[in-house]
Amino acid sequence: MRFGLFLGCNIPLRRPDLEYALRYIYPKLGVELVDLEGASCCPTWGTMPSVDLAGWCAVSARNMCIAEEKGVDILTVCGSCYGSLSETRHKMLHNPEIRDEVNRMLGKIGREWKGTSQVRHGVWVLYKDIGLDKIKESIKYRLDGLTIAVQPGCHFLWPSEVYVDKEKNPFRPRVLIELCEAIGAEAPDFSTITDCCGTGGLRSTNLEKSLKLFERKIKSIKEEIDPDLVVTSCSSCLLQYDGSVKILKEKGRINFEIPTLHFVQLLAICLGANPDQVAGLAVTGPEEVIKKIRGEV
Amino acid sequence: MDDDLPTPVILTELEKGVIEEIKEHGGENIDRCIQCGKCAGTCPVALAGFPWFNKRLIHALGLGIREEILDVPSPWACVSCNKCTEICPRDVKPFEVIFALRRVLVEELAIPTLTMEGLRTLYEYGHAVYQTTYPETRKKVGLPEKPPTTLAYPEALKELRALLRETKLDEVGLIPME
Repeated sequence: MRFGLFLGCNIPLRRPDLEYALRYIYPKLGVELVDLEGASCCPTWGTMPSVDLAGWCAVSARNMCIAEEKGVDILTVCGSCYGSLSETRHKMLHNPEIRDEVNRMLGKIGREWKGTSQVRHGVWVLYKDIGLDKIKESIKYRLDGLTIAVQPGCHFLWPSEVYVDKEKNPFRPRVLIELCEAIGAEAPDFSTITDCCGTGGLRSTNLEKSLKLFERKIKSIKEEIDPDLVVTSCSSCLLQYDGSVKILKEKGRINFEIPTLHFVQLLAICLGANPDQVAGLAVTGPEEVIKKIRGEV
Repeated sequence: MDDDLPTPVILTELEKGVIEEIKEHGGENIDRCIQCGKCAGTCPVALAGFPWFNKRLIHALGLGIREEILDVPSPWACVSCNKCTEICPRDVKPFEVIFALRRVLVEELAIPTLTMEGLRTLYEYGHAVYQTTYPETRKKVGLPEKPPTTLAYPEALKELRALLRETKLDEVGLIPME
């Protein structure tokens, strides 16, 4: 198995520990990752999608062309990238007018979008292509006794129409829960499991409203399942949780801290990676949980 | 006596114009909306307390209201989660309507500064989310200073810029594009 690693912006520039974790886990599980040299931002929602429908698709298509040239499907673990790339791909596949306009624009830079590369979420690749059994037999540390709150993230779920891989019922997501359970953790359901973390345009438009939304969710998580850790499949959720728990604690609006890891980081730790390299940039310290996982306490 | 009856709401040419404008910008299914409110019930923007969430914006646009919502921040608070599109029983795709509205607002230059900044860094570096401190951050975890993106490949950045100049971003003239 071979995939083109689509990095986006937040992962390589703000949380490269997650990038390190990506480059660590897939080869260990028998999946080769190749770089998509010269790729850009997906582009994310506040940029080209808000300016020009065909222009959005064109920038996205240029990224896909790089994967097409290499004959690989795209792998990403950023929700925004997964959403933006999947949505444009779906539009281009189903709307010949958009596709023609995109290829007219791409023609000017000597490219053509053919649609031969799929857009895959790295967590789905773990679940479906690599499989729970292979993961179970590869890990060095199991998560027995650990309780996890899962945050699949909006773009892991909807609009289900545009994604290659779909939950049976996106309003009751199972994939991330089953992955966490496969490595020994408990990952119970909770009432706000599909609620948005409140980042993106909401956060950049009004930080206080974003924090209020997040506060509502993190308090429900604490009250309902009191987890050791939040685990997400989205790098944007990761940034929102990791940063906002700290802010709310400092403001005295919550009196607890729960660290957050991307599932890829958690798996890297379970496979024996150096925690400083795969989770060293978190601001809400996951050190205690990591020590517990590694049997160091 | 007939003069006492309330005036029925009739879509004028101008009002139809607003719906057509939204359709042309990607909100094709706007007039399928029956205002059932399922989109609002799932919308983070509504839950966070913004006054102009999906259902209300669609209602206003359907009535031909345009000037009054040019400067409201709500359309820019949309997180693009698409839960509304998933749940809508009429296939309105509210997300597409909100984004069509954003494209209309951009043509009117009614756009928040952070959006401008994202577009500027997208053009300048190829990354909408850009951090000047990234080389040190990457070194800290033992990765090469530059990721293998447009940041490490100047030719690719040139190519991306040429492509962006083919899009409407160039026409609207929001950012300098040499």
